[in-house]
Amino acid sequence: MIEIRELRRDFGGIRALAGVDLRVEAGERRAVIGPNGAGKTTLFNVLTGELPATGGTMRLGGTNLDSLTTWQRARLGLARMYQRNELFNPLSARENVLLSITSLGGAYRPLRSPTSAEVAGAEAVLAQVGLEGRGAVPARALSHGERRQLELALALARRPRVLLLDEPTAGMSPAETQRIAALIAALDRSLTLLIVEHDMDVVFRLADRLTVLHEGRAIAEGTPDEIRSDRQVHDVYLGKVVES
Amino acid sequence: MSRPALARAAIVAVAWLALATFPEWSQFWESSRFATGIIRQILIFAIFASSLDLLVGYAGLPSLGHAAFFGGGAYAAAIAAQRLGTDELVVSLGAGILGAALLALAVGFLAVRAVGIFFLMLTLALAQMVFAIAFQATDLTGGSNGFSAVHRPILFGIDFNAAGNLYLLVCVTFLLVLLLLWRITTSSYGRALVGVRENERRMRALGYDTRTLKLSAFVLAGAIAGVAGALSSYEFRFVSPNDVALSTSVTGFVMVLIGGAGTLFGPVLGAAVVLLIERVLPSQLPAQTVLGIVFILFVVFARQGIAGALRRMVRA
Ligand SMILES: Nc1ncnc2c1ncn2[C@@H]1O[C@H](COP(=O)(O)OP(=O)(O)O)[C@@H](O)[C@H]1O
Ligand SMILES: [Mg+2]
Repeated sequence: MIEIRELRRDFGGIRALAGVDLRVEAGERRAVIGPNGAGKTTLFNVLTGELPATGGTMRLGGTNLDSLTTWQRARLGLARMYQRNELFNPLSARENVLLSITSLGGAYRPLRSPTSAEVAGAEAVLAQVGLEGRGAVPARALSHGERRQLELALALARRPRVLLLDEPTAGMSPAETQRIAALIAALDRSLTLLIVEHDMDVVFRLADRLTVLHEGRAIAEGTPDEIRSDRQVHDVYLGKVVES
Repeated sequence: MSRPALARAAIVAVAWLALATFPEWSQFWESSRFATGIIRQILIFAIFASSLDLLVGYAGLPSLGHAAFFGGGAYAAAIAAQRLGTDELVVSLGAGILGAALLALAVGFLAVRAVGIFFLMLTLALAQMVFAIAFQATDLTGGSNGFSAVHRPILFGIDFNAAGNLYLLVCVTFLLVLLLLWRITTSSYGRALVGVRENERRMRALGYDTRTLKLSAFVLAGAIAGVAGALSSYEFRFVSPNDVALSTSVTGFVMVLIGGAGTLFGPVLGAAVVLLIERVLPSQLPAQTVLGIVFILFVVFARQGIAGALRRMVRA
């Protein structure tokens, strides 16, 4: 489903991505782990087209992405949850989700309100992420945990084929973390997931396979058990997570 | 229709009927004719200001060149009527709308590539180019002398030369344009424009081609400004470079901000305030200074404009 070859991205002298190879099968749930600054968010930004690549090539379900814009990639079924929320702050939670849903029906309906099916769809997605009854609340008035749930709802509402999740549990209380992890675990198995996450319990619970990113390179890949027993991974990442 | 919607529709209908019959019920007032003329001009500028509000208040595109489409529409209407030798409303109004829309397509194509203050500067600079063309293409526009003796149009044998008929034309057009803008801003498309204003990055990630979306709004707003421009050419029987000038763009912007951006009806009130200050204030008072002071007061004390202040009063 996702095929990345030799992907590079420089920021001036900084090599954020120094030739990343990554293959994710359809329906797979892949975690990308690694220390801060490893290039995980940059990988997502380049994959969605929000940052141009310095080199390398990307494919999504067989389609070459390299010359496509962000919105064209989204229409191929690529959706994302940002590490730092990107919401429509003054709009209600329901209107936030509606903007995601109505994008499927086309933006140019200047004389029509959202259909009742679209409104019902928005309610269903809000319920799916645990925001039932909160639809009328402006995004900016939601709690941090709820804003993360809404962030996920925006990505889910387009019924994507591939979903990128950038630290879905960042800044959440243990209870909220449990809730959102359960929510992600319950997603349709046909959805391909790429998850960046620091909470190793969540990672080992959700992921079929893991890729370890370090200084812009994928230094290891394998099942949760293989990664747990990998010495190099311990040295650059897991050891530190356990210590801290 | 739900009951609140029905009530709102009734209020709008009654208010509009009162407005449209103003010349009749005010005829025993000695200043009735003068007042009717002022109202016509207010409504024409209200169309202009609410079209700008679609950009400023909804799509978050602070255009400082909107007069290019107002004046462009006025020139297109007047020139088409003269060259084609017809007074048909459909021809001149159609030319005004089409001319303004094409101009907005050209300006917008370049301008929507920039954001924020750069968008503002770019619209200003491109509108100044339109101004220069209006000033220099003497054969077409009459240059600095302007384009005078514009004919008032006819439609189905109704001659809008008669002041009463012209007043009705302006009232009806005003109503249709505001209903259209209201429908557009509450539609899926209008919500998408608000989405672009609030978070363009997220909109792109949701699969919206935001650049084309912004361009479409720019052209739509330009076309409606062209309607106002055509009406203005009928009203004054005169089109001049002043109609495309920066000062007219600024006036539109001030109307939007005084009235309340993103409310559609606010800019209508803003147009009324500005024109009343400009046209009705005793001539001993410096109108531009008064307008400046009023504007500053709004910026400091009522950021949401008249519409925002009214809303707060209703809630309290
Ligand atoms: N927009 C940017 N401009 C300059 N440097 C950046 C930018 N984004 C990321 N970087 C740098 O690229 C490296 C990888 O960052 P990032 O992808 O955010 O890491 P991660 O998400 O794994 O913590 C870091 O050194 C970071 O400072
Ligand atoms: Mg990151």
